[in-house]
Amino acid sequence: MSPTATATRAAAKPAAAPTFAYAGKLLRVNLSTGKTWTEAWSENDRREYLGGIGLGARILYEEVGPKVQWDHPDNRLVLATGPLAGLPVWGTGGLTVITRGALTGGATSTQANGFFGAALKYSGYDAIVIQGQAKKLCYLYINDDVVEVRDAAHLRGKDTWETQQALEAEHNVSGHRLSVYAIGPAGENLVRFAAIHGDYGHVASKNGCGAVMGKKKLKAVCIVRGTKALAAHDTRGLIQAADDIAHDLKTDPSTSTLYNYGTLPGVVNLSKLGVLPIKNYTTNLTGDVNMKDWEAPSLRGGFDHRGHQCNACGMRHCHIQIIPKGRYEGERVDEPEYEGWSGAGWTIGLTDKYSVSWLNTRIDRACVDVNEFGWVCGWVMECMEKGYLTEKQVGFRLTWGDVEGAWKLLQMISHRQGFGDLLAEGVKRASEKIGGKAAECAVYTMKGASPRGHDHRGRWEEMLDTCTSSNGTMESANPTFQTEVGAPGRINPFDGEQVAKLVGMIRGRRHFEDSLGGCSFTFRTKMANLARALSAATGWDYRLEDAVRFGNRTAAILRAFNLRCGIGVEVEYPSARYGSQPVDGPAKEHDVRKQWDRMLEVWYDTVGYDRKTGKPKRETLRALGLGWLEKDLYKK
Amino acid sequence: MPGEAQPKASRAHIEVTTWVTKHVGGDGTGSRVFDEEIRRGDTPRTVLRRFTARFPELDAALWSADHSELGSHIEVLVNDAVLGVAYDLDTPLIGGERITLLGQFMGG
Repeated sequence: MSPTATATRAAAKPAAAPTFAYAGKLLRVNLSTGKTWTEAWSENDRREYLGGIGLGARILYEEVGPKVQWDHPDNRLVLATGPLAGLPVWGTGGLTVITRGALTGGATSTQANGFFGAALKYSGYDAIVIQGQAKKLCYLYINDDVVEVRDAAHLRGKDTWETQQALEAEHNVSGHRLSVYAIGPAGENLVRFAAIHGDYGHVASKNGCGAVMGKKKLKAVCIVRGTKALAAHDTRGLIQAADDIAHDLKTDPSTSTLYNYGTLPGVVNLSKLGVLPIKNYTTNLTGDVNMKDWEAPSLRGGFDHRGHQCNACGMRHCHIQIIPKGRYEGERVDEPEYEGWSGAGWTIGLTDKYSVSWLNTRIDRACVDVNEFGWVCGWVMECMEKGYLTEKQVGFRLTWGDVEGAWKLLQMISHRQGFGDLLAEGVKRASEKIGGKAAECAVYTMKGASPRGHDHRGRWEEMLDTCTSSNGTMESANPTFQTEVGAPGRINPFDGEQVAKLVGMIRGRRHFEDSLGGCSFTFRTKMANLARALSAATGWDYRLEDAVRFGNRTAAILRAFNLRCGIGVEVEYPSARYGSQPVDGPAKEHDVRKQWDRMLEVWYDTVGYDRKTGKPKRETLRALGLGWLEKDLYKK
Repeated sequence: MPGEAQPKASRAHIEVTTWVTKHVGGDGTGSRVFDEEIRRGDTPRTVLRRFTARFPELDAALWSADHSELGSHIEVLVNDAVLGVAYDLDTPLIGGERITLLGQFMGG
């Protein structure tokens, strides 16, 4: 039985300082000294920072100074969950990783699911804050009050699945009783787009958080599902809110496919809008590929399934599969998300679904971000086709759709072998180093962040969000139910002003979602519904306007952190290829570059930031209750 | 749509795709194509109003509550381009167009 307590139990033994929905403690770990300790956080701080990225942004701003680069021992690696984690709301095993990342050198927030968040809360902690750097490879073991930094020499070189299997065997605990988030060889070798992978198929992928973990010589965090009680303030109200959210997910036409098929429908759907990235942005046509094979039921139907879900989740989303035929017949893989189908598939010209599925899992097991891998591998393929890179440089011939070649490249990157050492720096640095025409073919933001696996030349709102965000990915979570914040339900996607206004208005939604301890897919509902669940869980009167304010406040803190790191307005642009005009397909008439400067003006005006300095304006900060940040940003 | 008969000049195709097909008797995948008459003065708005009148669920999903505008979660494309580019809701149709109703993709 889940250790989730009921309201009755909480009422019978009221705590001196109620911590409804929270464990009430942060776990601190200093890997340099091996010391671990706990730290209480107050009701006021919980109300103000919630958890996840909200909490992580505050810690990052307060504890990571501008001279503390991503690979400095004083950098913090925050693994935070939130108030809904471990409670009976769908998909509430969520984990958000916050750190100063290796790709942009700025703030990072990246979210993953599985069971980690629930296991952590049941162990008595809302977040783990890791600092320092171990002398030898180690892993963190948590079993309720037992918290130990243990030697991980026997795990060196293992991929993420092998690491989890080894720890399951070592502790004689498996399945949902043990949650493991780990790095593979790419993290150990400080690949700048290394991810942190957990629970067989879940990835905190953005901005090289796995490289930060590798630099700290932390191989894994391993949590035995704890036994501490966790109470909701109003259990009946929470379950009612959770049921309403689930009902909406199942029955709302726009989310019911997400409920049934997860993100699989994205391939066909986005291809019709010119948003599926094909062969490193060189075309938007699907050619002679039979797209019926890429519809969600076809993508899922061809595989033999093994069950696999996240904490308390009723979605038909995550699956472990067995590849039924072909070169990789019999291999166990995790069903790719949409971004897996694009990054390990269409972006590199690979359209055999069994090969894509196999490669995607290999990428996860190496702990590499599948999006950046797609941009790197696709760039090499295009450059070799056009003669901008030679076989001598790369070490072998790599052509579009070559799955074995892509696998070889992945190994070279993960171990920083040969040309892979340069590629391990990410496509921005690699292409700038090679220069010439090759540099014009690379897809990235000028901050160095990886765009998600779309062709944003047909989805301007996400290109603008990715370029202006301060977390190494996006801050708005579009598409969403934007009318609830007064934004229009529909805009012309190629009208820059409309796009910028919308992005500014829905900014911060992602931060709110990623601070609650759940999944962005099961939270694909109105923010007002999430606020209702949060109110029932905590006893607060939390409303939509509080959620909007929270999102904008978190965004402002992250922006201030990045400005302090020297990441400002001068890099809020797409790379030449990322911002180019498509040569064919549904978006071919549209050139985002012609409207970019105007888009930035409107966005800055909408979010209340200064266009020249990039700073949130004084009045914006005051309205958000960030007087302390105003003093810091505007001190003489 | 290769291999598919083109509509005559006084007709247009309405292609219903992805989850939107559930509202016209489909299973939520693939696409269903309807050959619709185009009358003098027709626009995407008038053609779609006549079309959705036959499918109450689609009618509720496509339009705003007061039926004055499109709702939020179904994209409308004319000849593979979203509205607001070459066509808007009130641009006259000449026949031969293909109007696509594409369900908004949440997630990913």
